[in-house]
Amino acid sequence: MIKSIEEYLDQLKNELKDSDTATVQDALADAEEHLRTALANSKQEQPETSEEEALNQVIEQYGSPDETASAYKEVERLTHPSLVRENQRSDSMLVRFFAIFADPRAWGALLYMLIAFVNGIVYFTWAVTGLSLSISLAIFIFGLPFAILFLLSVRGLALLEGRIVEALLGVRMPRRQMFSYQGGKWLERLKMLLTDKNNWKMLFYMFCQLPFGTLYFVLIVTLVSLSLSFMVSPIIEGFVRQGVVGVVIGNLRYFPPPILYPLLVIFGFLLLTASMHLFKWIGQLHGKYAKMFLVTD
Amino acid sequence: MVDSPTLTKKFQKELNAGIASLVLLSVLSNSEEPMYGYQIAKLLDDYSGEASFMKQGALYPVLRQLESSGLLRSTVEPSVSGPPRRYYEITAEGKETLLVWQGVWKQMKSFVDKAIKGA
Repeated sequence: MIKSIEEYLDQLKNELKDSDTATVQDALADAEEHLRTALANSKQEQPETSEEEALNQVIEQYGSPDETASAYKEVERLTHPSLVRENQRSDSMLVRFFAIFADPRAWGALLYMLIAFVNGIVYFTWAVTGLSLSISLAIFIFGLPFAILFLLSVRGLALLEGRIVEALLGVRMPRRQMFSYQGGKWLERLKMLLTDKNNWKMLFYMFCQLPFGTLYFVLIVTLVSLSLSFMVSPIIEGFVRQGVVGVVIGNLRYFPPPILYPLLVIFGFLLLTASMHLFKWIGQLHGKYAKMFLVTD
Repeated sequence: MVDSPTLTKKFQKELNAGIASLVLLSVLSNSEEPMYGYQIAKLLDDYSGEASFMKQGALYPVLRQLESSGLLRSTVEPSVSGPPRRYYEITAEGKETLLVWQGVWKQMKSFVDKAIKGA
């Protein structure tokens, strides 16, 4: 039995504790508005019923806290991100340039590019081992099921890679395993798998992921460390005065005058910001490429 | 018998999920003036009569969602008694969408009717 509107709101808040704070705020505002209006109306219509009874009638119609909470959660779950309008961007170029640090796509791409290095090694090893073993075992009778299992595993890995790409790069990828022919003899199944060009595309993707992953990793490490050292070294120089800021080319050492230090920090920050834009762009490109190779035609 | 109240409740909920948007858009399209949540809930109560199809509380998240997709817009106005009220009205985009949705609903209705009758 809920005794007051405040108690209802408390319970609703408690039910929604795992939801987005914006949703909680909306839900509480809606409930308060409705319950207060409904209670005032029912008092006018039936002045003889007690406040508590009237409130419970109102709540009966509005829904219990957990029913209301589940309605909000359901809508939140079903709302497709594309349906939610993006805020109209009227910001200037400058603001948009620096807003990259608040862009989840850029961070997702950065994370993906780091993961791609590890994944690339795994995929490459798997593909090379599987393929060479499949070929060399082909002279044995058990070579056949081995080749089939390997080719099926390529599909599984392609699905997994697709999930990673979707989560981090925001490109819609398959969520279900591709249909594979179940019946028939082993030889027929192998023939189907071998003649399916999607399998070869996926295998190609797995091979290429190693060079791509390496490239991404080198790019991230180089750009991030370069821009961070530009930003931090003048500050360290201020403490240690050991000639941290300087360029060494062969026997020549060049130390910029301290008056340029602020410029170095600014340059480092600009480089970092530009790198984030580059990562985001690479991420989008890789997403398109993954879609071309991992999604069946 | 397998059919338990929970199954029926679940079915009702799933049906409501799609229909609520259509109903709310229609109500606001028919109304001359912007309406607030309680008003809409009252009107729907009159329509549904004895049977209650959905809890009033479930209307609000749908209203919010329609607003965030640009089909409705809302303004908050202080009220004489109680907390400020959020008034909703349909946008031009909402009206266009409603026309399409009504078409979908008509087709869906005749399809379901035929399936139930089996003719």
